[in-house]
Amino acid sequence: MDNPQFLPLFVALPLAAAFLIPLLSRLNRALAETSSVVTGAALLLLAIGRINAPAAVYNMGDWRPPFGINIVSDSLSSLMLLLIAAISLCVIVYALSYMKSYTARPKFYTLLMLMIAGMNGVVLSGDIFNLYVFLEIAAISSYALVAFGTEDEELEAAFKYLVLGGVASSFILLGIAFLYSLTGTLNLAQLAQELEGMSGNRMLLLVSAFFIMGFGLKAALVPFHAWLPDAHPSAPAPISAMLSGLLIKALGVYVLIRLFYTVLDIGPVAGTILMVLGLLSMVIGVFLAVGQWDFKRLLAYHSISQMGYVMLGIGLGTPLGIAGAIFHLINHGVFKSLLFLCSGAVENRTGTRNLKELSGLCHRMPVTSASCCVASLSISGVPPFNGFWSKLIIIVAAVQASTTTSLGNVAYVIAGITVLVSFMTLVSFAKVQKYVLFGKLPERLAKIKEVPAAMCVSLIVLAILCLSLGVLSPIMLKRFIEPARDAAVDRKAYIERVFPNTETKTAHLGD
Amino acid sequence: MNEMLWPILIPAFAGLVVMILPAGLHKLRQAVALIAAVLTCVLAAMLFSKEGGPPYVLPWFQITQTFDFEIALRADALSRFIVLAANVFGVLVVLYSLSYMKGRERLREYYAYLMWTLAAANLALLADNLLLLLIGWEVLTVLLFLLITIGGGAAREGAGKTFVMIGASDCAMLLGIVFLWQIKDTLTLSSFSHETVDGGIMVIAYVLLLVGALTKAGAMPFHSWIPKAAEGAPVSVMAFLPAALDKLLGIYLLARISLFMFELSLGLRLALLIIGAATVILAVMAALVQHNLKKLLSFHAVSQVGYMVLGIGTGVPVGILGGLFHMLNHAVYKCCLFLCAGAVEKRAGTTEMEKLGGLARAMPLTFIGFLIASFAISGVPPFNGFVSKWLIYQGLLEVGGYTSAIFLVAALFGSALTLASFVKAIYSVFLGQRPPELANTRPAGFAMATPIAFLALICVLFGVFARVPIQYLIGPAVAESGAGEIRLAGLWEPGLATLLLLLSVAVGLVIYWLGSVGKARRTSIFVGGEVHDAEEIRVPATGFYETIRTAGPLEALYREAAEGAYDIYVLASRYGSNIVGMLRALHNGVLSSYLAFCVVGLLILMFVLLKI
Repeated sequence: MDNPQFLPLFVALPLAAAFLIPLLSRLNRALAETSSVVTGAALLLLAIGRINAPAAVYNMGDWRPPFGINIVSDSLSSLMLLLIAAISLCVIVYALSYMKSYTARPKFYTLLMLMIAGMNGVVLSGDIFNLYVFLEIAAISSYALVAFGTEDEELEAAFKYLVLGGVASSFILLGIAFLYSLTGTLNLAQLAQELEGMSGNRMLLLVSAFFIMGFGLKAALVPFHAWLPDAHPSAPAPISAMLSGLLIKALGVYVLIRLFYTVLDIGPVAGTILMVLGLLSMVIGVFLAVGQWDFKRLLAYHSISQMGYVMLGIGLGTPLGIAGAIFHLINHGVFKSLLFLCSGAVENRTGTRNLKELSGLCHRMPVTSASCCVASLSISGVPPFNGFWSKLIIIVAAVQASTTTSLGNVAYVIAGITVLVSFMTLVSFAKVQKYVLFGKLPERLAKIKEVPAAMCVSLIVLAILCLSLGVLSPIMLKRFIEPARDAAVDRKAYIERVFPNTETKTAHLGD
Repeated sequence: MNEMLWPILIPAFAGLVVMILPAGLHKLRQAVALIAAVLTCVLAAMLFSKEGGPPYVLPWFQITQTFDFEIALRADALSRFIVLAANVFGVLVVLYSLSYMKGRERLREYYAYLMWTLAAANLALLADNLLLLLIGWEVLTVLLFLLITIGGGAAREGAGKTFVMIGASDCAMLLGIVFLWQIKDTLTLSSFSHETVDGGIMVIAYVLLLVGALTKAGAMPFHSWIPKAAEGAPVSVMAFLPAALDKLLGIYLLARISLFMFELSLGLRLALLIIGAATVILAVMAALVQHNLKKLLSFHAVSQVGYMVLGIGTGVPVGILGGLFHMLNHAVYKCCLFLCAGAVEKRAGTTEMEKLGGLARAMPLTFIGFLIASFAISGVPPFNGFVSKWLIYQGLLEVGGYTSAIFLVAALFGSALTLASFVKAIYSVFLGQRPPELANTRPAGFAMATPIAFLALICVLFGVFARVPIQYLIGPAVAESGAGEIRLAGLWEPGLATLLLLLSVAVGLVIYWLGSVGKARRTSIFVGGEVHDAEEIRVPATGFYETIRTAGPLEALYREAAEGAYDIYVLASRYGSNIVGMLRALHNGVLSSYLAFCVVGLLILMFVLLKI
């Protein structure tokens, strides 16, 4: 399974499924669902196969870079692939029964498969233009999915998302064009080679500003976050889970890590900017979340705040900080998609997501309640669940930065803010638990039942993941996170992987 | 396997079993819980009887070279005696719950959470690694939250408040621990030994840990979760956690950081004394005007913490001894009081004091238990509360100076007010006229009566034979802290007085039986020839201290307190929601303003990067 020849399948499989689903569903309506589940499972198997695989490069059509297009898989991308595959399989299984109340289900699965193809493509692409194309594939299918309910609110949210996402995409494209004019190449490894020692170049700095804005918008960093609290809650719950759990990470955070640690070298200022944006997102996101009464909007604001943690860790730039950030990225993917799926289960049964109208669901929906409780504790950073460990690592990294970086005593303040935000997260999830799960069951809800088995299975699997990622965090850190971190920060290794013998350096497309 | 692991693993495993057992096997569930609690208690006693062996260390997770999370356990004298006490309460509360919790919902979870609480508490008390301690601590927070929610609809607000306030203190502790690690480069608890608290970060780290300890114990200004939780939580939960276990844990941590790990400066010590004295007075003032028995008791649970903080804040051996002894005593009598309140609630259906009265005759054992515990909490000799308060007073005197005289007066005054408020409680619940709807109240059953009787007995024994617990339970811990030799200026030996008291009670009983008191004539009540029924002339005790509430400057104070002006939780949420409001106003849902955010953001980025 770890043959590099399989790498294109990560994109090809879901892409093929996306185009086959509309055709197959003409034959038999159930085929759309079956083929989605099969594709999801196949992707998961492929991704598991890549866990122990060495880093690999696949050249499309055997054209060597810089002439051909290549796919690069290192520990960081394998980890992302695994996360994407695992969560999307859970989401697909959940959607089997959740989407029953919607029409045009084959279209839903088509779009979902397109989105997965786009994300896998972004994560694997070794070429910045292809990265952009895959990013657009994923983004455009997500605009359509946000509007899937076609009510007023959904359409408005999707439109805002479309406009802001479009602005971001254009700046990214502009940045790519500038980069090409500067270096004459689009291959990431070659870009990294060409840009070595150019950290003060003004063109490069302008490109960096465009990229931070563009990918920052995809990652929903403050002040580029405003689309998210509309878009994520409006989508059907499985899609909310995909958007918050995966899309902002694959399209935003992953690319930022890849670009600013593997490709572009603009010196420590990149780290400082990411750190400041991260802190802003953490604080502003969590304050907005605390005041929310709409279950899904509350979760959406928390996505902003939690992405802030990830960015803070990345921005600190210390090995521990980046490791913590990547770990938190994974953990957030798990618990946030679980939370969105829980909110979907609650909405599905009670018909509301207003916290004030809910109460005492633990008496009637034990599986949903238990998994919601687990996810809430995870995101609030309560041991032994996974969120605690990654937050702890980020806090330790922040405090450690007082001596290992030039931050000095500011690092203590940053650690303080981090802990404060963690506390605010706990406050708002205390609110969620208090209103949704506990208390007295109102008359209106006396007859509700637990959600169907397919949804329960997804919830239980994700809840178990929350616990096991927490308990097994030492293994996670040593086996997965640290290799991924090393792959992200090791520019030389990345270049050498693509250009095994250094002579090829001269063979680039000329000026 | 190491003997320190058992008291953690057994209840943890029992909790799992209890959770898994199907609903039909409820009797078996109860049996498993009770047996596990007893077994853990026996193991804790065995652990106590041994001299502390070498620490147990199991490496687990190295985040950095020195940020080393290892399963490290160590049982020194302080841990050993508190573990023993905690597990005794575990047995009593499980036993009590068998009857008290009958017929409630979510009992499967209830017993599992009780078991896990025991496991987590033992873990926190035995931990020799700061992070391990924190993990035990946070698990306890979550379990407390879940246990309170079992109280149903009324418990929701209290549960949320508790979770938030203790959660905040856990966060503070986490930060404090990371700071400490940054300074000392280790997480092992026992490698901190009387570090001088100097330098900004060190003081901050100590204060952050102190916040954790004080919030758990419920000292002011971090106390307000206890009265709120008392409103809806099952009484057995109140008796177990805020009254007993949380006191043991909070004061354990306070003692650990203030006596073992750090050497306090004069300023910090003074701060502790001020917190202690303020807690004693203010909380007891609040207790005076309560109308609900559970809330009244919960304010006393706050007030008494003040004495423990005072005792430890003195820093002299006698004071520390008193503080730790008071912690133990408080756990005993406050647990007893809450259990009595629970028995009353179970039998009479309410804890509102207006609706109660005259229950002494219906529930004699509960009455006697409550009476003894009330005397103990008010510091009446020869009960245990008197001895520990007396030691704390001695400690304060030994510190000397005018300031300590102020604290001494505050402590004495608080004691008097405590008695006053228990006069009200006893009268309104057990004495006076019984309301007609309570005519058929039955006495508490065996499972409820046994823990009450046991705890009341301990109140007497620890008072009369105070030398025993001081010498065997607490003395070794004080000696180990290195505070110096305990010099008792005098320990009142109440043997003779107790004998006389018992004798006088006996004489009284003899007179009662021999004389005509019992054969008194009963008639209906009439005033001026007009017959009144009992309800009309019943004097509820809730108005006893109304004059204090309305007296001059106190009136404003009470009014503001009722509005939450002194509640750190209310204040924080008020200011927090202002910030939220401002931020929400910015997010107006208009696309063009969101675009403006992006443009401004991009311009700032370009400005920073290109310095144009």
